[in-house]
Amino acid sequence: MVPGSPKDLKLRTRLLVTLLFGGGLLGVWWFVHSEKQQKLRQQRVEQLRQVALGQGTFSLMDHTGCRRTKRDFLGNWVLLYFGFTHCPDICPEELEKLSTVVVTLDRDASLPPVQPLFITVDPERDDEAALARYVKDFHPRLIGLTGTVEEVKHAGRDYRVYASAGPKDEDGDYIVDHTILIYLVSPDGLFLDYYNRMKSAEQIADSVRKHIKNYATL
Amino acid sequence: MTAPNSAERKTCWDARDHLWKCLDDNDDNAASCQRFQSEFEAKCPAQWVKYFTKRRDFLKYKIIQIRGPHQK
Repeated sequence: MVPGSPKDLKLRTRLLVTLLFGGGLLGVWWFVHSEKQQKLRQQRVEQLRQVALGQGTFSLMDHTGCRRTKRDFLGNWVLLYFGFTHCPDICPEELEKLSTVVVTLDRDASLPPVQPLFITVDPERDDEAALARYVKDFHPRLIGLTGTVEEVKHAGRDYRVYASAGPKDEDGDYIVDHTILIYLVSPDGLFLDYYNRMKSAEQIADSVRKHIKNYATL
Repeated sequence: MTAPNSAERKTCWDARDHLWKCLDDNDDNAASCQRFQSEFEAKCPAQWVKYFTKRRDFLKYKIIQIRGPHQK
C-alpha cells in the first residue's frame, strides 16, 4: 500500500477530527468545572462574611510594649489563639501546636510567612512582662497581646470568645475557662477558618496551605 | 505570683504523670502513692493540682461510662 493513499488519509482525517472534537469537549468540561469551583469558593467566603467574626478592630499592647491594632496585621495571614499564661496544660499544648504549624508552613517557600498571635483572656495578670516571659518558649514570631480589661474583652467579643475566670484560691491563683480555638484570618482581615483541639498540626498546616492557594485565585 | 515557666511546667507535668502511673498500677489506691502525691503537690501550683485531680476524675468517669459500671 502506498503511503498517503486515500484510505490512510481518510483514517488520519477521522482520527484528527475525533481528537479535536474530544479535546474540545474536554476543554468545555474543564472550563465549566473551574467556573463551578470558583462559584463555590465565592459562596463560602460570602457565608463567612455573614458570620462576621473578626469584623471589628482591636487595639492592644504587644509583649514588647508597642501598641498594635488589627490594621497592623492586614496584609498578613494570621493564626490567632486566645489563652492565658497561668494555664495548666491546654494553652502550652495549643501554642506548641501552633508553633509547629508555622514552622511547617515556613518550609514551603511558595507561601507567605504566617503571623502567629496570642491574645490573653486574663489581662489582670498577663501584662506585657508576663507575656514576654511566656511567648519566648514558643515560635520566635509569636506576638503576645494584652491591654485593659475593656480592650481585651472587645477583642474577644469580636471572635465570640468565651472566657470566665474561676474562683481565686488562697494564693490568689485562678483558672480561666475559655474557648479553645485557633482562628485563621486572611490578609484582608477576614475570618476564614478555625481549628479545635482535635486538629493536628499537619491537618492545620494543610488547611492553611489550601486557603492560601485558593485565596490567590479568588 | 508569676506563671510557671516552661521548665516548671514540665516538672509539674512529670510529677503528675508519675502519680497517675502509680495510681493506674495500684488500682487508684491513694495510700500506695502518698510519696508521688506529695511530689505532685510540691511541684505544681495549688490551682493546677486541683485542676489535674478533677481531670483525672473526669477521665476515669468517662472510662466507666464506656466500659460499664460493673466491669473491672
